[in-house]
Amino acid sequence: MLIYILRRIASAVSVVIVTLVASFGLFFVAPTDPAGTICGQRCTPERYADISASLNLDEPVVQQVGDYLKGLAVGRTYHSGGAAIDCDAPCLGYSYTLGQPVTKLIGQALPITVSIVLGGAVVYLIIGILAGVVAARRRGTYLDRLMVGTSLGINAVPYFVVALLVSLYATFLPHSAYHPLLENPLTWAGGLLAAWLTLGLANAASYTRYSRASMIETLGEDYIRTARAKGISERRVVYRHGLRAAITPIATIFGVDLAIQLTGAIFTEAMFGLPGLGVLTLRAFNQYDLPVLMAGVLVGSVVLVVMNLLVDILYTILDPRVRLG
Amino acid sequence: MEPMVTEPQVLRAGEPDDGRVQSATSPAPVRTVSKSPTRIALARLRRDRIAMICAAICAVYVLIAIFAPLLAGLEGQNASDLHQNLIDEFGFPTIGSTGEHWFGVEPRLGRDLFARWVYGARPSLIVAVAVTTITTIIGVVVGLVAGFSGGWVDRVLSWLIDLVLSLPYLLFAIASSAVLVAIFGGAGGAGSEDVAQIRFVSLICVLSFFGWASLARLVRGQVLSLREREFVAAAKVLGIPTRQVLFKELLPNLVAPIVVSVSLALPGYVVAEAGLTVLGAGLIEPTPSWGLTISAATTYYRADPLYLWLPVLGITILVLALSLLGDAVRDAFDPRTRR
Repeated sequence: MLIYILRRIASAVSVVIVTLVASFGLFFVAPTDPAGTICGQRCTPERYADISASLNLDEPVVQQVGDYLKGLAVGRTYHSGGAAIDCDAPCLGYSYTLGQPVTKLIGQALPITVSIVLGGAVVYLIIGILAGVVAARRRGTYLDRLMVGTSLGINAVPYFVVALLVSLYATFLPHSAYHPLLENPLTWAGGLLAAWLTLGLANAASYTRYSRASMIETLGEDYIRTARAKGISERRVVYRHGLRAAITPIATIFGVDLAIQLTGAIFTEAMFGLPGLGVLTLRAFNQYDLPVLMAGVLVGSVVLVVMNLLVDILYTILDPRVRLG
Repeated sequence: MEPMVTEPQVLRAGEPDDGRVQSATSPAPVRTVSKSPTRIALARLRRDRIAMICAAICAVYVLIAIFAPLLAGLEGQNASDLHQNLIDEFGFPTIGSTGEHWFGVEPRLGRDLFARWVYGARPSLIVAVAVTTITTIIGVVVGLVAGFSGGWVDRVLSWLIDLVLSLPYLLFAIASSAVLVAIFGGAGGAGSEDVAQIRFVSLICVLSFFGWASLARLVRGQVLSLREREFVAAAKVLGIPTRQVLFKELLPNLVAPIVVSVSLALPGYVVAEAGLTVLGAGLIEPTPSWGLTISAATTYYRADPLYLWLPVLGITILVLALSLLGDAVRDAFDPRTRR
């Protein structure tokens, strides 16, 4: 077990390192002019020299990657317009277009993305699993077919279209905006409600099908028949004995989905005007803000790798039948 | 396809039932037509009414895309003429749908919406088909090689597959298309037509880069189990070159998973193209694209609902038809998944 975990951690770290080196190569070594693109259109020669010197662009590539890694570990100093800017560890670079350290920008964006995704997850887990259980209990009835059909239909409509139409037409929902949770939980929830419902209902469709399939399989097991034979209530059989076993495969799917959504909530963020990680990356794309772009990719891949690792480890704990050497 | 028969029940199911009886009783050679699993699956698909309706809808889209100039010509307009005389001083069109402009004109620029719409079918379909073709070829080749050769080749390729699958797809797609555009289009003086062309190609490259890995993993797994089978061992003993074993012996057995993956990938890439374009990270003007029209129309959704809803319906119906067709293809090739 321990060896398995260690091996998974090693492979996760290798993925992050390769992502770092590859994106560094892509953004700073490709035959482009990073200092020029960072500097923007109204670029003065002094500013250009500042940026070049700060990024050590005249040094060998290995040295540049080393500097970036050192910045992550202990921080580094950037120069802008004669002033020195300290970038504390973990330093992901300095955004010259916004005039702020990238770590701070990411730190502002991440809570927004996490709020959207976790709130949406609550919605789709509750609705999806309940609907799936109901459909599984009434398997083959009109209600079951209606639910499965609806869920297939919802899934076939592109998500960005759903998000766009909700954001345009669902004006009865509170206006979308992000207010920090700690300031006022009510305004926080109100501002995110539309995003939660959209993300939640669109995903609830697939969770209905997952949990229906898993539940049908579980309800066919022998121990469910035994539980029924003991004479306990149907409710107890379904929810205590059935759902508890049926939920394990759903938990795995949920873990992977959560990781994908944390790095891909960009449509929800963009349509509802919530400045999360995806919108930050999108803005960086439009302004060729290379340090922010690179940090977005890097943070995204760390989130994804860590989540996948957690899912794999949790799975061996949740399901004792999975034993890995 | 040569029947690579591995399942005894599909061996010879040709001429009706009496075929086999006859061949058992009479010594005269009886011509039996063997049905491959693919033909059986296609026959099953043909009986699926929803699948046939969806296939017809997709065919209509393909025809619209091919004959876009003809359709626009039928209306007497094209996708790039600006009709400023039909725009009032606030940028709103003064006409609705008329005999001359069937879907009306765009606010602000005044381009004909029907022409933009029919031409808009093109990038969606071209991107989806191109990316699906590229990813399928790369995925199949990588999966075959990794699964069949084993050893360090397999380890390197598997690691590569895992790497691509664990990258944050959307963030990376946006970031790398920024870099691709900077590399190829950064050399100033490029006209807007050229930049649009570069964005088109770079979108295909980026989507292809992320698309091949899941199919490669699937094919690799299948090959791992197939390569232990007798017919592969027999081919090896006969001294057939590896390339021929891969493409003549193994590939025909992988038709079902590949067809299923293709049919599910197509709608995915239509959505990816439109989605990235709506975000501003995909295609750009002056390419006529539904995604671009949608993102421009969100500001006018109350004043001019038709402007927004035509491309939205265009995308949604296409994706709906493609996905339902994909589900039907999966059911036809693998009856166990039938709902």
